[in-house]
Amino acid sequence: MSEELTRRDLFHKVVRGTVLATMGGGAAFLVQKAHGQVVWQVDASRCVNSRLGEVGVEACNLCTTECVVSLSAVRAVNEYSKCGRCNICPAYFNITSAVDEHGYPSQKLCPRDAIIRRPIGKVDPEDPANNFYEYLIDEQKCDGCGKCVIQCKEPLGLGSIVLRVRYDRCVDCNRCAISRACPKDALIRVPVT
Amino acid sequence: MQYKQVQLIGGKGTGPGQFAAELRAIAVDQHGQIYAAADSHISVFDAAGRPKRRWPAAGPVHSVAVANDGTVYAGEILQIEIFDAAGKLLHTWRDEALLGRVTAIGFVQGSVLVADAAGRAIRRFDPRGRFLNNIGKDNPVNGFLVPNGVLDFAVDAHGIIHVANPGKHRVERYTPGGELLGHIGSFHGTDPAGFGGCCNPTNVAVSERLYVTEKAGPRAKVYDFSGELQAVIAADVFDPNCKNMSMAVDHRGRVYVADTVKLAIFVFEPVTV
Repeated sequence: MSEELTRRDLFHKVVRGTVLATMGGGAAFLVQKAHGQVVWQVDASRCVNSRLGEVGVEACNLCTTECVVSLSAVRAVNEYSKCGRCNICPAYFNITSAVDEHGYPSQKLCPRDAIIRRPIGKVDPEDPANNFYEYLIDEQKCDGCGKCVIQCKEPLGLGSIVLRVRYDRCVDCNRCAISRACPKDALIRVPVT
Repeated sequence: MQYKQVQLIGGKGTGPGQFAAELRAIAVDQHGQIYAAADSHISVFDAAGRPKRRWPAAGPVHSVAVANDGTVYAGEILQIEIFDAAGKLLHTWRDEALLGRVTAIGFVQGSVLVADAAGRAIRRFDPRGRFLNNIGKDNPVNGFLVPNGVLDFAVDAHGIIHVANPGKHRVERYTPGGELLGHIGSFHGTDPAGFGGCCNPTNVAVSERLYVTEKAGPRAKVYDFSGELQAVIAADVFDPNCKNMSMAVDHRGRVYVADTVKLAIFVFEPVTV
């Protein structure tokens, strides 16, 4: 009898332990994820769209096409501390399109019209070139195609626009689909400090 | 009008006449000697391009200019060092407010002009280093638009100051007192007569004509003073990643362009047909 109880106790303890361990692991995972301790991110020094030194290459759009989320979890982000606030931004305008009557490129670069341009500071209505402009990314439209990133890259731009994984959209796959496709291993697991 | 490359000076390396890591600016004196602001040194080459002298500055040198009396001005961060022709330090002008990052130096009517790229303005000083006036600061954007981090200008024979204002895709003309006289140039992404990209031209030189360099793709061009393109001097020879290519023109009409990646000075001269 006592032997029977011991076996039952042992069985219960194992089950209880397994459940607790599973719950604990899941909780730890959720805590880790909530704290953003380890996340997928784009390494700009590896990404062909932003890596310095490469010129004349087409924008890689694997972040758009490979992500398991319907509208990719990757977005273009403009780091304002680096942005030149240019009058004619090559990430906003298609700078090789025909020049319009005002002297500006007639076409925008972004296929989803996800970049917003607006003058900031004291505006000179007489001379549009006499203003600073800020460039905002509309994250509802951006799908991370990288076209603006490659146009902003040095030496054409200042490299202020980079691709970032948005944590609120990323479903945190164990093996990120973009990372499997990326030819430069630019999708990496990084701790967030 | 056409140009051909006639010489290549310097190059990356540690040998005589080479540059280790940075080639930021060049100048040519009235005898055709070439001065290079490279790394933390001033390097001097004779008119044939042979290395002649080299001396250290206090820190990285961002610009160089030679006065008619042979004194050499080296633009740095927060200061200017003034050397005699042999490289002996004569004076140091230091000013944290007016000499943020000195990327060009010139001379007009007995005064010294200094391009402060950090302050996005040209500062005018008397020969003793006393501040006289700003040039290009009094406008809605509080200065020149220089996203590339370099402000460059050149002074013509009449004392007119030609300033590259890359954010506006223009070369502007100023009096020494700071009055804006006008400008040439406009944006165009494909026509070589225009200035392309976000911010061009980056650098400028002047003699009987106006010379400019651009980045992405890098090229050197020459205009008349009305803004008519005379020639694309060169394009493909430069490293596609280089920008802020300093340039100079000598009394023979030779054009010198500093490739900031190859760390070499390209020399071009007009082809006479």
